[in-house]
Amino acid sequence: MLKLTSNKKRLLLFILLGWVLLLVGDRVGELRQYQGSFVATYSLAIASIILLTGYSGQLSLGHSALMAVGAYAGALSINNAHLHPVIALIIATLTAGVFGLILGVAVARLTGPYLAGTTLALAVSLPTLANQFPILGGEQGVVFDVGAPPARFGEGFSQYKWFFWISSLAALIMIWMISNLLNSRYGRTFRAIRDNQISAALAGINAGRVKVIAFAVSSGAAGLAGGLLVMLISGVSPSAFPLSLSFSLLTGAVVTGVYNLKGVMLGGLVLVAIPEIADSLTTRIGGSEGFTATLPGFLVSALLILAVLFAPNGPGHLIKRKKH
Amino acid sequence: MIRNNRMKRYSIVSAVVAAGAMVLSTLPAQAADPGVTATEIKLGVSTPLTGSAGLAYGKVPGAMKAYFDYINANGGVYGRKIKLVVRDDKYLPTLAATQTTNLILKDNVFALVGALGTATHSKAYTAASLAAKNVPDLFVNTGFSGFGNISKYPTAFTVLPSYAMEAKIMSKFIKEKFAGQAVALIAQDDEFGVDGVNGFKAGALALANTTLYPQSSLNDARVKALLTGLSAIPGKPVVVLFGTTDVTALIFKAAESLNLVSKFTWIAGSVGGDANTLLALGVKPTTIDGAVAASFFPDAKDSTDAYVSQFMKINEKYNKGVSFDNIVLQGMNSAMLTVQALRAAGKNLTRTGLIEAIQNKGSKFASAGLVPLNYSATSHVGYNGYWFGQLNAKGELKPYGGTLAIFTTDSAAGAVEASTYTRPALPKNGIPTNS
Repeated sequence: MLKLTSNKKRLLLFILLGWVLLLVGDRVGELRQYQGSFVATYSLAIASIILLTGYSGQLSLGHSALMAVGAYAGALSINNAHLHPVIALIIATLTAGVFGLILGVAVARLTGPYLAGTTLALAVSLPTLANQFPILGGEQGVVFDVGAPPARFGEGFSQYKWFFWISSLAALIMIWMISNLLNSRYGRTFRAIRDNQISAALAGINAGRVKVIAFAVSSGAAGLAGGLLVMLISGVSPSAFPLSLSFSLLTGAVVTGVYNLKGVMLGGLVLVAIPEIADSLTTRIGGSEGFTATLPGFLVSALLILAVLFAPNGPGHLIKRKKH
Repeated sequence: MIRNNRMKRYSIVSAVVAAGAMVLSTLPAQAADPGVTATEIKLGVSTPLTGSAGLAYGKVPGAMKAYFDYINANGGVYGRKIKLVVRDDKYLPTLAATQTTNLILKDNVFALVGALGTATHSKAYTAASLAAKNVPDLFVNTGFSGFGNISKYPTAFTVLPSYAMEAKIMSKFIKEKFAGQAVALIAQDDEFGVDGVNGFKAGALALANTTLYPQSSLNDARVKALLTGLSAIPGKPVVVLFGTTDVTALIFKAAESLNLVSKFTWIAGSVGGDANTLLALGVKPTTIDGAVAASFFPDAKDSTDAYVSQFMKINEKYNKGVSFDNIVLQGMNSAMLTVQALRAAGKNLTRTGLIEAIQNKGSKFASAGLVPLNYSATSHVGYNGYWFGQLNAKGELKPYGGTLAIFTTDSAAGAVEASTYTRPALPKNGIPTNS
């Protein structure tokens, strides 16, 4: 039997996962493909939060703003500069990464509630800033159109399957890169900083630098997720990135387990599934429109409480505990 | 194989869970035109029901439902009952995109009707592939002229006149009725206000002052500073308010406290001139008394109007506890247009047939609007005109100068023309019998 290094195993695993997703994408309807695309996008956004919060110990409430940066960069690349969608998504990632780098330098000294407050302010203010620059299209925003799927895939290849392919592939590649990073020397220094910044500094780790790197990588991933999100809704506008998006993603991260990158897909699934469950519940038991509108929020809160009470480190750890 | 690695097992577990959840409920293959059976036509709407926009416009789906219930109780459309599926998008683009996609792919609706919001619906239209799936997108509640682009939105029909039309017609009205008075414009700085500013330019109205404000950051102090500045203009300047009703209310209240109400001649656009809402927001009846407002509908308080009184009756019976106002009138009117469109498409109902029916016969549909409907193969924009009225202290809008004067135009460079249009009579009991 071939002896594989853990890096190669990880790569194989991601390829296998991609292959499974490819098969799944062929066998489900358009609605599931569309929902699957959202699962992939949210999973990536949650992964970026886990990297930042779980591994490097910096709490961000402003990930919706970082996603917005990537989304606008991607939309402008496609709509104004007429670049290829793949290039646009890469630009989305890089722009958000650079933005995160600058932001990271500015906030590297902040911890705990101060950092949370700063990122919160960013989430509130940044999307509305977009209204001030005509090139960003105001409330109407900028169109993000990746175009029809290539003709060589055939007639039956739907727009939603195309979305599913793009978002799954992008998310897989990015999460694979994040997971490589976390298993490298950087991942160890991230954890060292998170657990005890002073002892890490004594061990020769440059805490400020490591935090900034974590911030930049995390916002790059968030930017890509933002680009994917506005691809799915065909355009970017300030109201696509409300504060509630930041909180939903954080909820997804907590449900997944913030110290644990492995279950991000679960977090994404939860975020997409909850409105669906609420929907089918209300159709089944009936109820007013106000009830339908508030039920998802209630379910998310309930799930969050349950997660914190019973599986603070994510459901993965529950299974582990049972086994031992 | 993979040994020693719990984490990989968990990844696989989560992958399998995800895959399983997706596979569990696959959709059956879709028929050519879903949403129509021998006994039912399923329509859908994604619109804000909650949140701030929901407070203002959340009554639209209820009003449409009430009218459809009334039609269903009177035999439906060629024996088919109309079912309206309502989904809340909270005025958020992401939700509008997913909710509209749900309406098409999950609820399998035949057509959409009465969607509301420009920033939201323009995204939902593309995301839900309405053009590719040929889904009729009826009577969208927006005045954004961009939706009139048939090559981009081939299945969409808007109902409101565009903001650009309104500004052009208003320019002509001001030049005729208030010649010699300086004009100041206060408009929102988004596509709504910008559409308007372009319209004023096209209407060649000389503006002594233009203020564009971001919707979110206008407050009492800023408004007061603005009005104080404008009060330096000699004479009795005309102030045009091209924004939403809450902003109109804010400005009126600031003018009250500065004692400047009688200094200006006030003209409110159709979006921001809803008297009921203004009074509900605490504006004094004496303030709105005499203010000029643009409209394309009859006054919702005017129970002598045949359409309004019929809709009031339906509202009382099928929409219990909801007060009748412009929004309810708008919803019921769109529902009535929908029923006529479905009838015009014939007993053998198809999506293509419905779109063609509106293009060919839509301009003749009976509707409460006092201005013409402009549907044709080359125009998917509904109403194309306005009339001007003066509010009284009760909030009733009476024709300016005593006689109703209707003007029509387009969103581009076309001239503003006086129209002699008289609307079709109300079908008996408000139940269309067209074909």
